[in-house]
Amino acid sequence: MNVFLWASFALVALEIPLLLFAARAPRFDALVAVEAAGGIWALALMLLSQGFHRSAYTVLALVASVLVFAGSIVFVRFLEKELDP
Amino acid sequence: MRTVIVDALLVATVASEAMCVLGVLAGATVYDRLHYAGATTSVPPFLVFVAILLRQPHPYTNPVWNALFVAVTLFLLNGALTHAIARVIRQREAGDVEL
Repeated sequence: MNVFLWASFALVALEIPLLLFAARAPRFDALVAVEAAGGIWALALMLLSQGFHRSAYTVLALVASVLVFAGSIVFVRFLEKELDP
Repeated sequence: MRTVIVDALLVATVASEAMCVLGVLAGATVYDRLHYAGATTSVPPFLVFVAILLRQPHPYTNPVWNALFVAVTLFLLNGALTHAIARVIRQREAGDVEL
């Protein structure tokens, strides 16, 4: 276990309360929690690839950083008119 | 010395993310939560980038470039996302985004 793995496990652990909160909160609050969880998840992927010495896996974090935005903006679009908050 | 700096950077990353998560969970209003959610991708990605940069024997390697791209992408796109969410919330609450 190196320091990158410890840090990544800590970040993954921080996802748990955010996802539990997102499952129970009103929709706008849940969307905010998902936004925070997505950013933390991308960082955790980056740290995991460093911790396991698999530099090629940093591409996962790279893709996640873009898809977090794309996925959340879909919810923003739906909450604008179609869904009730 | 580099090892100590890398450790300190990663501890600062986890601590700042933990504070942001607490802020999201304990925020009084959705705007308070949004403030802390936006902060999750402001400073910590760059701390991770510097930690990875210091860990590599040569600065121009694949993980360093990817870490820089992730940091800049998260910083810019999450800022835009925070703005979009705030705009929608305001529109649904007040019917208009004008102040």
